[in-house]
Order: sequence, then structure tokens, then C-alpha cells
Amino acid sequence: MANFQQPASLNALQLFGQACAILRNTTRASNPAWYQSAIELNLQLHIRPDGPNTSAFYYDARKGQWSRGPEFTEEILHDSIRLDLVLTEILKYARSHGASSLGVVLHVADEFATTELKPELNNPASLPDLRFAAVLDPGSILEDSSILATQGSWRVIPYPAAGSEVIGTTITMSRQYANFLGLLRQCGENANFPIITHALSAPLVAIMGLPQILKPTPEKPFVAILQYPWFTALAFFNEHSDLRLIRTLQHRGVRKPTHFHSALATTNASLEFVDPDLFLLPLGLEVDTTMESNLSHTFANCRIEVLRHPPVQEIPDWCPEPVITAMPVVSEPAVTSHTFSILTDDQWALQDFLPTPKEVVDIYPTRSEMRLLRLLRLARVALVIITLGSLVYFAMGTIELVRRPEWAFNPSQADIIKGRLVKLISERQKAEHWNNLLEDRSKAWINMEALARLFPENGGMLVKNYTHIAKPDTAPGQSKVGFVKEWKITGFARDEALETLNTLNTREGIAAHFAEIARITGNAAFTPNIGNRSITVNVRTQENNGFKPIPLEESNAADESTYPFTFELSITQRFEATDPMSIIVPKNP
Amino acid sequence: MHLYRQSIIIFGIVLPLVLAAAVIGGGFLVKSNMLESFETKQKTYVTSEKGRLSGLEIETKVKRQRDNLNRWIEQLSQETASAAATNLRKICEHFSSKEIQQTAFERPPSSAGGFGAVAAQRSSQLRIAFRGTFRTVQRVFLELETRMPRLQLQELQISPNTNQSTLLNFQVTYTAWEN
Repeated sequence: MANFQQPASLNALQLFGQACAILRNTTRASNPAWYQSAIELNLQLHIRPDGPNTSAFYYDARKGQWSRGPEFTEEILHDSIRLDLVLTEILKYARSHGASSLGVVLHVADEFATTELKPELNNPASLPDLRFAAVLDPGSILEDSSILATQGSWRVIPYPAAGSEVIGTTITMSRQYANFLGLLRQCGENANFPIITHALSAPLVAIMGLPQILKPTPEKPFVAILQYPWFTALAFFNEHSDLRLIRTLQHRGVRKPTHFHSALATTNASLEFVDPDLFLLPLGLEVDTTMESNLSHTFANCRIEVLRHPPVQEIPDWCPEPVITAMPVVSEPAVTSHTFSILTDDQWALQDFLPTPKEVVDIYPTRSEMRLLRLLRLARVALVIITLGSLVYFAMGTIELVRRPEWAFNPSQADIIKGRLVKLISERQKAEHWNNLLEDRSKAWINMEALARLFPENGGMLVKNYTHIAKPDTAPGQSKVGFVKEWKITGFARDEALETLNTLNTREGIAAHFAEIARITGNAAFTPNIGNRSITVNVRTQENNGFKPIPLEESNAADESTYPFTFELSITQRFEATDPMSIIVPKNP
Repeated sequence: MHLYRQSIIIFGIVLPLVLAAAVIGGGFLVKSNMLESFETKQKTYVTSEKGRLSGLEIETKVKRQRDNLNRWIEQLSQETASAAATNLRKICEHFSSKEIQQTAFERPPSSAGGFGAVAAQRSSQLRIAFRGTFRTVQRVFLELETRMPRLQLQELQISPNTNQSTLLNFQVTYTAWEN
């Protein structure tokens, strides 16, 4: 077990480190028993020192089963070396019964004393504050201002009865068992097994348990006389069963207090109790058994009754406090009152007189802090997974990027490719340039073929003159310009040729002729239906003034006078700038 | 009470979150930088790849034309009139003088005419006259224009020969592209 230090002496980082060490090395995060009360735990060890005897019982809350506890003596309770053996036995017992924790409830029955509150604090509304003040700063509320907090332990007990002169008193307990309980807790710390302690005042528990066995005479006050071996406690209740006063009378070495009868009578008188019921509770093996008969002589008009708790399993009837503590609520109490309600519900009678010292409590994180730490441990794992997952995701993405050819691409390659592309583009432009300029857009031999096919032999026509001109359009600023090709043919024609001329003089006729030339020569310039090319034709025929009619069989084809008509054929073919054969204007790049 | 809460919050919640955020942020930053770098590289790569593919495509086309282009360039580097005269002489050697007679060969002083008037490319003009039969002259033109694709017909005139009825007069004007 690590030696944990006081948080006040640690810086923030050390504090966190200690908290993590506690989380790692102890079961405080996983075992809620560390932060529970001893009387809430499933396995409890009830120890009851009453002076002559020390009784101990195990209580298994899950089974409702009581069994004998280890043997304790006064020496064991005050000797740490002898206690070790018993503690080993206790731990062995707890573990053998499958318990994950042990609640040790100490019923202190060998001392009982009261100390009065300061009169100026006599305000019922301030009881909750007084309860806390009694734990934290008892000197501030006690009438005896000379009392030191280290001398003992004080707990406030209210007097709820109407008409009480004071709102309550404090029960005083020495710290004689503080070391014993501390050793028990330390043993639990060392074994990483929660041993939770709770020190009770046995008489207060016995008073809390009165409704289980007591049935007072209606409309009469009563006094509960708790006979312990070393003292007798008197609890005075009014006719409504509300507590008015607690007194204690020490036996001082004998079996009963001296002047007990006069003390009882005086207190009855001061409380204006007339013949109250007197209930005797023998709460020890060696208590005075003659008290009932003695009291009957002195208090002849009082109802005197000896009450005993029914024995429960191993628990004897003179030792009821463990049973009352473990099972404080009964279904049908013999008496009900405000006092008994608050003693149980507000746990006035179950106050821990010897709690774990603050300096020990402060060493360990609180339950909420331990829960937070435990949650954070899981959250941290999740965060690490998320972080690693993110890194893996990033790494995978990065690897994927790096593995792609784009990542390995050398930018200098781009320059080489770019340079090569520029060179190729330049070469292509040069090729395109010369391709365009050297296009077969105007060739003499094709024009002659067109002429020959336009006027076939023995077609009744004689061509006299033929002129062909190819000239470009003038379109400044254009990258390409169109051009115009013009043909002017003059000649002579006979009657049979007029039909041919008329056919040529139509758009379809001239287009068919051009298409034929394009097909035969393979020259695209004559193809009429590419782009926006247009062909216009005009044939003008006139009578031949020099015509001399002679029989046809006698006529010479070259004789102009044998042709009755002259003709003039004009053809214009226009190529737009958008035409594939248009002329490129810029210079060779 | 709750003496540990502050340190737990600082070292158990805030610090791990900050560290995780720093690690994740760092990873994100590295990835972002790499992504940015990758996008730049990718742009270069895509551009380069497109350029490479275009280059291949262009090269395929250019390769097909390269021989022609080289031949053209070689031809264009020759002086037009000289080349035309040489070619005509060689062509006409195949025909008798009865079929064809070259009657004129001149270079007009105005260098830019015909299609050359609108193109920025250098050009010259060439005027040739023949006397010959229709088909013979046509074959001569076919041969000449095939050998010299730089010649673009600008004007062609055909008229009967007054002295010899079987022959025709041909006058042709070419625009010749110059390199």
C-alpha cells in the first residue's frame, strides 16, 4: 500500500498523480463500501464493551443472520499488537463469507456522560447547526468553555418534549476507542478491503429501541432506567412519550449508583412528574437485580416494570443495541412519539462519536471524485483510441497520397513535357499553316478538266475564249479569308446545245457539274456542298450575226458561222472565311 | 472536501483533451499541408499528363505529316522561278514541240498578287504562256502543279491560236508561296 500524503502538501500535478495512484492501487473506485456507513454494509461486526465484558457479533444483513464474533477483551481493545491477530481473523471471516466490506459498529456501553449546552443557544431552530458544531467545534456550543475538543467527542441530543427548559444536551464520549477504530480502518486500508467504523453510544441506541418493548400508561410520564454495569442512565419522558431529560449516575465501583432513589425523586419533582411509570432495563450481565424491589418500596404509587428485549439468535436480552442498530424500525411499535421518530429518522441516536479523522478523510478523493477519475480513465482510453484512430486515418490518407503517381511526379518532368509540347504544337502549327497554303484550292489542270467536261466534243458548242480568275476576299484583321473563283467562257452554240446551256444555267445543273469534277479529280475545291460555298451561274445566248445556215453534215465544227447562237457563260464560286479551304492570313509561326 | 477536483479536471480532462486536440490538430495540419501540396502536384501532374497525351496525339499527327512538311520546306527553300523553269523543262522533254511550245515565262514585278495579296506569308507571281494542244498543256499543268504544290492558280486564259487552228494559246498566272 502506497504511503499517501496530505493533499495540502502537494501541488496540482502531484495531487492528480496521488489520485491516480489511489485509483490504481485501491478499490475505492469500484467498491462503494469505502464511502458508505458501517451500518449500511451487508456484513457488520458489532462490538459492545460495557466494562466487565466485551461482546462481539457478526451480522449478515443479506441473510438477517447473527453469529458470535471474535473474542475481545479490554486488553485487545487497547493493545495494537494483540489486536492484529484478531484483525487477521476478522478479515479471514469476512472474506470467507464473500463480503466485499465490513462495517464495524462499536456500541460504547462503559461510559455515558452529558454536558450542557450554552444557555444562549437555547433555540430549537438552531439544532441542525448545533449538531454540526458539536462535531467540528464543540467548544463553541458547550457551557463549559474550558473543554478542549481533543479531550473527547460530543454529540447533541434534542429534548423534543414541549415545556422543556432546554432544547437538548450533549452526550460526551472519551476517545479511548479512537485508536482501536483507527487500527481497524488502517487494517482495511492495508488489505485494500473496506473496514468502515461507527462508534455509537449504547444508551442512546437503547433509548431509540424503547418503542419495541415499552408500553407506558396512557397520559402518564415515564422514566426509562438503563442499568449498565458501570453506570445507570435515566431517560425522562413526558405523558406524550417525548424526551425531557437524560441523566446519568456513575456506579463508581459498585453495582448501583449511590443516592439513586433521591436523585430519581428529585428529578421527578423538578420535572413535575407525578408517579411516573418506571421501566427498568437491565443492560449487562452483572447489573443490580434488586432494583425493582427496592424501587417498589420507595415509589409505591409508580408502575414499575422490568423490560427485556427478546433474544435474537445469538444476541442475549441484556445486549439489545446491535439488534436495534441493525434493525431500528419495527412495523408496530408499542409507543410512538416525535422523540422516537427523530431519534430513528434523523439518526440522532446513531451519531458516530469517533468518525474517521478529517486529516485521514482528506487524503483520499471523495466518492464523486473517484467516480470522475474512473470515468476519466475510460474516457482517456476512448480519447487515446480516437486520437490513434485519427492519426491512423491521417497516416493512411498520407500514405495513399504518397503512393499516388501525382506525389512522385517530378515537376522538372512537367517542364520537359511542356517544352516538348510547345515544340510539337509549333510543328503542328507549321504543318497546318503549310497544309492550308498548299491546299489544292486552285489548279490549272482541274479547271481545264472542268472546261473539257463542260463542253464535250460534238456537243454543238464551240468555245472561243476562256478566262478564269481566282482572287481573295478583302477582310482586314481576319485570321482567315475567303476567296472567289470566276470563270468567263464565250463561244458559239447550235440549237441542240441550248438545252445543255439552260441546264448549266440552273443552280442544280452547275452544282452537278462541279460535283462531277470533284468526284473525278478528287479536288475538294469543286465540291459544292462544303461549308457555305455558293455557286452562281449566268448564261447569255444571242443570235450569231455571222450565222450562215448550211446542212449540218456539211458544216465544220470549227466554223463559227455554222453556229446560230453565241453564248457567254459566267460562273462565280464563292468560298467564305469559314470554309475549310479559306486562306490563312498570319505568317508561318 | 473535493480537494482533488481541480487537479482532476486540469490533468484528467483539460490536459488530455488539449493534448489529443494538439495531436489530432497536428495530424490534420500535416495532412492538410500534404493535401495542399498534393493538389498542387496533382494540378501539375494533370496538366503535364494532359500535355503528354496531347503531345502524343499531336506527335502522331505531326509524324504523319513530317515527311510531307520536310519535303515542302525543302521545295519552298528553292527559288520559285528557277524551280519552275527546271521542272517545266523536264516535263516538256516528254512532249514534242508540235504539241506544246512555251511562249513566255516571266515574273511580274509585283510580288504579292492573287492569294498572296491577303496572306502574311511571303509569295511571288509567275506568269507562263504556252501554245499547245488542250490535253498536252493540261498534262503539263498537272505535272507541274503536282511537282510544285506551292503554285496556286491565279489566272488562266485560253484562246484559239490564229495561226494554227489545232493549237490553243494558254496564259497562266500563278501565286507561288515562298518560305
